[in-house]
Amino acid sequence: MTPRNAADNVRLKSTILRGVYNENLRINSPRPDPASGRKGREGRRTALVFSVLLVLAVTVLFVRFFPSMGPDASGEPAAVASATASPVSMAPAYTSASLPSANLSFPVPQASYVMRPYDSLPQDFNTDRLLDYSLILNNDMVRLSSVFGLDVQTIVIDPGHGGVDPGAIGVLGTKEKDIVLDLAHRLRDKLMESGRYNVVLTREGDSTMSLAERVEFANSGRTDLFISLHVNALPQKRANVIETYYYGPPSDAETLRIAEQENKGSGILTRDFANMIRKIGNTFKEQESASLAAAIQHSLFTNVKKYDKDTSDAGIKIAPFAVLLGVDAPSVLVEISCISKKQEELKLNLPAYREEITSFIAEGTSRYLARRNLQVVKGEENDQKVRGKRS
Amino acid sequence: MTKKSEAKEADEKLIVGIDLGTSRSAISASNGKSMWVDSYVGWPKDFIARKVVGNSVLFGKDALEHRLSLDLYRPLKNGVIKEGTTRDEEAVKELIHHLITLVKPKKDNSKVRAVVGVPAESFKVNKVAIRKAVSDFAESLLVVSEPFAIAYGVNALDNAMVIDIGAGTIDFCIMHGTVPTDEDQRTVLQAGDYIDQQLYNFMAERYPHSDFNLNMVRRFKEEFSFIGDPERAVKVNIPVDGRPTKHDVTEEMRRACESILPAIVETTLELIAKFDPEYQDVIRQNIILAGGGSQIRGIDKYLENVLSEYGKAKVEVVEDPLFCGANGALSLAMDMPEDYWTEV
Repeated sequence: MTPRNAADNVRLKSTILRGVYNENLRINSPRPDPASGRKGREGRRTALVFSVLLVLAVTVLFVRFFPSMGPDASGEPAAVASATASPVSMAPAYTSASLPSANLSFPVPQASYVMRPYDSLPQDFNTDRLLDYSLILNNDMVRLSSVFGLDVQTIVIDPGHGGVDPGAIGVLGTKEKDIVLDLAHRLRDKLMESGRYNVVLTREGDSTMSLAERVEFANSGRTDLFISLHVNALPQKRANVIETYYYGPPSDAETLRIAEQENKGSGILTRDFANMIRKIGNTFKEQESASLAAAIQHSLFTNVKKYDKDTSDAGIKIAPFAVLLGVDAPSVLVEISCISKKQEELKLNLPAYREEITSFIAEGTSRYLARRNLQVVKGEENDQKVRGKRS
Repeated sequence: MTKKSEAKEADEKLIVGIDLGTSRSAISASNGKSMWVDSYVGWPKDFIARKVVGNSVLFGKDALEHRLSLDLYRPLKNGVIKEGTTRDEEAVKELIHHLITLVKPKKDNSKVRAVVGVPAESFKVNKVAIRKAVSDFAESLLVVSEPFAIAYGVNALDNAMVIDIGAGTIDFCIMHGTVPTDEDQRTVLQAGDYIDQQLYNFMAERYPHSDFNLNMVRRFKEEFSFIGDPERAVKVNIPVDGRPTKHDVTEEMRRACESILPAIVETTLELIAKFDPEYQDVIRQNIILAGGGSQIRGIDKYLENVLSEYGKAKVEVVEDPLFCGANGALSLAMDMPEDYWTEV
């Protein structure tokens, strides 16, 4: 529309076309996980360190262990060690490289798990299989939800505070409990739209509810996902801080205690099983909570950032919130906005803005749910397609 | 590459530009065909419905007509693919497939190259989903934001602004000689659908005993929408107790159509104000309205007047609002150098 000569126009067009091409290349390349960056890289590094430690530990054990096996093995300790070490040495390669679909890395202390069983190994016990288990259970690269094709049916949304507890209060008198309650209702409507999920709220109205009651509520129903909504109040910060929490991996002391308990057992398979169950619970909740947190945080932050430059991404954080610890299902706590910022408080009072925030959270949640579903075996998807066409 | 070989290349490969819209989707192809459908996809609810409608999946008007026997989806509601539901993704896929088959001869096995324009909002989330949806039907594919495709189509590449008033969103995009970034784009969620809802509410308030639904209201809007002074009174036929009756909805129509204006003006001013001060004047005189909303009578003059308070302003409406997105995407696809296609 601007009058310009032909040569100029051609040059302009080629710049633009290159831009389009580059942008699409970026879309094409495997998308960096929302949670990657500083946190992800650190996690991966830690995971790498752990797997190297694991290899060392196992090798040391074998060297120690095989001489006591008797005449049979004494001749070939080196060979056995190297043979067993080979699947083990795959672990670091597996952890550090490949698997672009892998999500978040947790420094799960693998060494302690693999080490224990060896002191009472039955002769014919296949150590390789044990390592296979550890690959599934302790490995952060394997999404248990996809391995077992788990589905989400019931989502519990927990609007924070309520009743006598107003939560954070803005300068203009806006109360956190009212904002999050409204958001929770909107979010429920959004998530219910698809008709695939049953969504319930911990509190429907402005009623007082203790943390313990919320946990009990979530655990008594068949909760598959738990999302707690809160509003930040950080008077010392000028920016609008958005962050999402989940309850993370147990501390070292905790792992130690579990290890101690397990050592009391005698039969290796029983112990293996008990261990497995426990690890499934932990790893599963961690993995799912973390990726849900990452998905929500990503949607929420990138979208809010569009409207308000002054938004800072506090990222996903691990914190010992009582609700997050107590609820059995994967659970996250979202600090959707910062009410201590006056502009933000004004905006939160607009239904349109609350609707937008809700749609961002819903988008994050659906992205998480979609990714889960996508990882279900392909054949099943095809079946559904065929069924859909036939009906 | 010479002109001739380029033309030959285009013969072997069908190049298409697709505009995925909230309410209508359009396609333009290098073989000269262009088609559009309402963005509705419906699957028969059961085998009886399947027999009645005689097809395993229906689109656009057909789908709307048979909506009682269909599971009806409007997959791009609010301008984004709702990724949470597989059915919506499936619907987008079917829609794209349908669009391509509309322009592609059945026996033609040539490979398809596509540029798909998607709403600027949630572009990041969408593009992955779109890629997934299109990958089955197109050999290579580029995704661009919708207002950008329009700008490219009307050759407004430098110091121009496109306002694409769609059904689910109004997309704003400033062009300054490069691919617009997130900073250059804004989206307002109150667009055509919002007008429908407003109009519906206003009418329901004034005529509580008349029977009408959102679909009818949308038809009224598409025929009579205006801003400012009406050319003549807007009178529509609505049944009351089963008897068609004339209703005067002039005032309601005006109020509903004008309800989206404040957001447009505010966003336009904000985007221009953020731009390099030296070029703000140029941009203000190079504003292009596109999308269904650009057809509201008087909207260009209104915006021009409001913006004139800040300096000289010129607002134009694109010639073919239905196809300008698809055509823009197509011309972008045609201009795209050969080697850029190989990797995407």
